[in-house]
Amino acid sequence: MKSDRSVVAAYVVLTPLALLMLVPLLFMFTTSVKALGDILSLDFRWIPRRFAWENFQRVVEVMPFARYLYNTASIVVMTFLVQSVTISLAAYAFARLRFPGRDLLFFLFLVQLMIPATSVIIPNYQTIRTLGLLNTRMAVGIVYFASAYGTFLMRQAFRAIPRDLEDTARIDGCNGPRVIRHVLLPLTKPSLIAFAFVSGTFHWNNFFWPLLVTDTVRARTLTVGLAMLTQATESTPEITITMAAAVMITAPLFILFLVFQKPFIQSFAGAGALKG
Amino acid sequence: MHLKQLRPYLYVVPAFIFLFFFTYYPAGFAMVRSLFHWNTSNIQPAFAGLHNYQQLLQSRRFWQVVTNTVIYSLSFILVSTAIALFLAVQINKVKRLGSFYKSVFFYPTMIPMAAAAMIWMFMYLPDYGLINAYLRRLGLESVNWLNDRHIALFSVTMVGIWKYTGYYMLLFLAGLTNVPEELMDAAKIEGANGRQRLFKISLPLISSHLFFILIIAIINALEAVDQIYIMTQGGPSNSTNLIVYFIYQNGFRFWDMGTASALTSLLIVTLLLVVSVLFTTLGKKVYYEV
Repeated sequence: MKSDRSVVAAYVVLTPLALLMLVPLLFMFTTSVKALGDILSLDFRWIPRRFAWENFQRVVEVMPFARYLYNTASIVVMTFLVQSVTISLAAYAFARLRFPGRDLLFFLFLVQLMIPATSVIIPNYQTIRTLGLLNTRMAVGIVYFASAYGTFLMRQAFRAIPRDLEDTARIDGCNGPRVIRHVLLPLTKPSLIAFAFVSGTFHWNNFFWPLLVTDTVRARTLTVGLAMLTQATESTPEITITMAAAVMITAPLFILFLVFQKPFIQSFAGAGALKG
Repeated sequence: MHLKQLRPYLYVVPAFIFLFFFTYYPAGFAMVRSLFHWNTSNIQPAFAGLHNYQQLLQSRRFWQVVTNTVIYSLSFILVSTAIALFLAVQINKVKRLGSFYKSVFFYPTMIPMAAAAMIWMFMYLPDYGLINAYLRRLGLESVNWLNDRHIALFSVTMVGIWKYTGYYMLLFLAGLTNVPEELMDAAKIEGANGRQRLFKISLPLISSHLFFILIIAIINALEAVDQIYIMTQGGPSNSTNLIVYFIYQNGFRFWDMGTASALTSLLIVTLLLVVSVLFTTLGKKVYYEV
């Protein structure tokens, strides 16, 4: 039982803070549909005098949006698919098998959480250049193909599955990889989906690494395209176009979030660390 | 060794290859290359001993970046985790609208930092920006949020706090919902007030969450760079230059890979040192369930 007064106080405190939190989002939406006249006014208006829907049209004219969308989506999907293979195999070994050096190896995996990819951009850039991968979508994804966080998550999930189930499968002639695919993964789908949400969000939103390793339309992602937009058009009127572009690159993930709020939030809540 | 004994390692190999080539090898590579001059006048790396480090320690710019990064990190970590804990405690109290509040505070996690930085940059505009418009309405002076070197660091820190607080709140909530309600009721019957229940019961019980949120916040603080690249490029007069942006500047703007490698090594050592110190001190006192 909770005292009514403190619950009321919670609402009184949370509501204005929630509204404040929404200001940048509302600002993005309203600016994206403003006309120039509304922007160049010292008095800020929340409701535009005229809804300038043509701003979205302009975005597609000044940036190759479809290509960036395709690049981003394929990087997100490719990265997750490769990750799901590497993390389930490693997680299986750490959860089920005994071998010398296992704990040391697991520790080496966990140290990755402490050395984020952003901290090693300089040497990784050299590696990518040596491999001849500059300006490819592979370059954007490859540095994230092993995920300590994902390995940790799947190891926990596998450990919760009773061994008997695997033994039955083994008697039926299934070997390790097939046990993972046909027995363990179907039973740990929620964990894999949670990882998909976290990894997908991270790679959809990732900015600095893709910025460094891409330099043409061929491999650039949406976030990089957004940054290019302001560099191409630095005058004030282009604020509206930039915010329209921001709405467009945020929308797919945001809609997904609105539809799947519960699973999305649970995925992140289960995340000890947000390292795609 | 029998082939059979090697089998467990085969499962780890695919992940380990990528882990090795894109985490461990670069960390080592940066440390080796930090001992070389490797810049526009030394196109082939030339051994330099600790010269890159000496030069950094003597440069005012480097110390300014260190100061900026420390100020950014401390204020980001303290403010975002404090607000996150506060929000989590409040949301944990309410019965209705709980998931609404959760979503509203969490949504910035879904917005790319690049887009968030653009939004804030335009809200910060001196004449046409939202924030100054409201300051003027209140009869206050306009503030030059991103062009005043005494204020710009504060302005970019705000963006980081806004972006990450909701995520930390969620992690706190995950801990708080596990605190048994009977325990709280018992404490209440014994006459413990709200503050006592928070500090004597909830916080100790979620200390493992608190500990991990702290570590995540430290990493998030030290890797901050997107909003710097978009909003200020490290300026005005270097006042918002943070460590990762400084690494980028040295490597990709001045083409001085030796110095950039030395900075990378310093960052990695700092990260590992801070985290392992926390693990050996606080980590031992943390309460783990199970």
